[in-house]
Amino acid sequence: MRVDVRALGACNRLAERGAGQAAGALTDLTGTDLSVEVTGASVASGEDLAEAFAGRESIGVSVGLRGGLEGEAVLAFDADNVDALLSLLPGGSSMGRSAVTEVGNIALGGFLDGWANYLGKAIDMTPPRYFEADGAAVLPDGALAGDGVFLFESRLDATTTDLDFSIYMLPDSGQFRDLVVGKTAPAAAPGADGEAGNDGADSTAVPYESLSTFASLAKRGSANAADNIAMMTGLDTSVDVSRLRFVPLADVPAEVGVEPHAGTVFELQGEPSGYLAILFEEESAAKIAASMLPSEPDEPLGGMAENALCELGNVMTSGFIDGWANVLGTSITHSPPEFVHDIGSATISPLVAKLSRRQDYGFVIDAAIQTEGIQTRCDVYALPDERELARALERLSEP
Amino acid sequence: MSHPPSSRERTHSPAPDAGRIKVGVSDLSVATGGETLTTSGLGSCVAVALVDRSAGVRGLLHAMLPNGTGSDTGIERPGKYVDTGIETLIAELEDAGASAGRLEARVAGGAEMLDLTDAVGPRNVARAEQCLDAAGIPVVERAVGDGVGRTVRFRADGRLVVRAADGFERTL
Repeated sequence: MRVDVRALGACNRLAERGAGQAAGALTDLTGTDLSVEVTGASVASGEDLAEAFAGRESIGVSVGLRGGLEGEAVLAFDADNVDALLSLLPGGSSMGRSAVTEVGNIALGGFLDGWANYLGKAIDMTPPRYFEADGAAVLPDGALAGDGVFLFESRLDATTTDLDFSIYMLPDSGQFRDLVVGKTAPAAAPGADGEAGNDGADSTAVPYESLSTFASLAKRGSANAADNIAMMTGLDTSVDVSRLRFVPLADVPAEVGVEPHAGTVFELQGEPSGYLAILFEEESAAKIAASMLPSEPDEPLGGMAENALCELGNVMTSGFIDGWANVLGTSITHSPPEFVHDIGSATISPLVAKLSRRQDYGFVIDAAIQTEGIQTRCDVYALPDERELARALERLSEP
Repeated sequence: MSHPPSSRERTHSPAPDAGRIKVGVSDLSVATGGETLTTSGLGSCVAVALVDRSAGVRGLLHAMLPNGTGSDTGIERPGKYVDTGIETLIAELEDAGASAGRLEARVAGGAEMLDLTDAVGPRNVARAEQCLDAAGIPVVERAVGDGVGRTVRFRADGRLVVRAADGFERTL
């Protein structure tokens, strides 16, 4: 199966609107202003999704779909966040079940409304079914078999209180898959055309299997980067999350957030070219730098720490892209590190701007790496050029 | 429950409530009441704040790149570019009751964050000045350039509060 990148972009936009409706419904219910920070599509096999949900408890609703789209759609909240969310409701946690059902129903309704417009066909949904599920049981029945599903994840952020959480939508149907693989030509819905913004002559269809291989490659890269931190610092490390997602590039800075960050950025050269950023929150950056220095530096993030973080970034990046060249059959190198220390989103926005000249959406690999003992965490963001990645993935699928 | 197709296309915009409207990257928004327009994490991106004080109408743009004209990706998000963003913002302000002749501008951002990305920040600022000049809109204040990220709040009184990464705050 081949994923049409442009169609996937349009699908993501619809998911974003659905999430916007969910945010609006939650704002009305809780009286707390919520907005959608980022919406992305995870591109992974059912097995990857099952792994991603392992150990997580979800609460949500599912609906059956008939008509233009058949199958099942699920909207799920992480159980950890549901309590915080429910505490905002006037009726408290007793409102939980009905509130979750109501919000889920509104959000999925908004989501499917957009789909109906896009497809030019009505979609009927059955009444919502409330569920509480462990791990991958949240996924629709068809998700774990065969090609898996696309998981749309939106992060919602309360603007006035310290609450942010994700909602997930999992449309599971043959028609949906046909749409993302570009088999179905969408109805001429206004605004739907060209939403993915990839009007170039280059092919934008990528083999699904190659994407899956690339996601595994990214995961190995994250593990290599973590191993290299362990080697440099002598601290135990682990990869907390490693994902390959398809997101609107303009949303990436918001995902990094407004907290001050320090770290390094690199330009990747070869095919695919692109950028890689390794960002620590300030406190983590200072701690990890100190762990590499023979004595406590005068300034937590002064020149000595900067050198240490650059050196660390260098070996992490080498580890991260190690293996890409072999698997993709290309040569990929990286620039020397450039130290950054600023508002997180401001450090990454120039990279996003540079890539955005040619694309509005992109595949983004993000990984969170933690160290034991001194409790630090860093986020790695790899932003490959979409057309070059598509070409590399195309070659990967050739026998 | 049925979701029939309709030709009506909803546009996604931040909900104006609790007195605050968040403007994302490549986005623009207009306020006609007491709301504060905010945008965060301006690195090389530029924020253009326009106000018509007598009409009580304000607008904020957070643009990423200087020129939309002739770009590869089309103009489905006019706020992505400084030129198309300013043009669209002026049009939306006029729709909301502002007069282009009474608008004044404040510009923030456009930092040179990285050597890797060939001075996109200063080019964003230069393009903003050029487009505003062409539209006959005076730039009354600016906090631009340097290598520092910024977050801005555009208050109901038409003043722009610019907070730098080090916490230093200026009101323009």
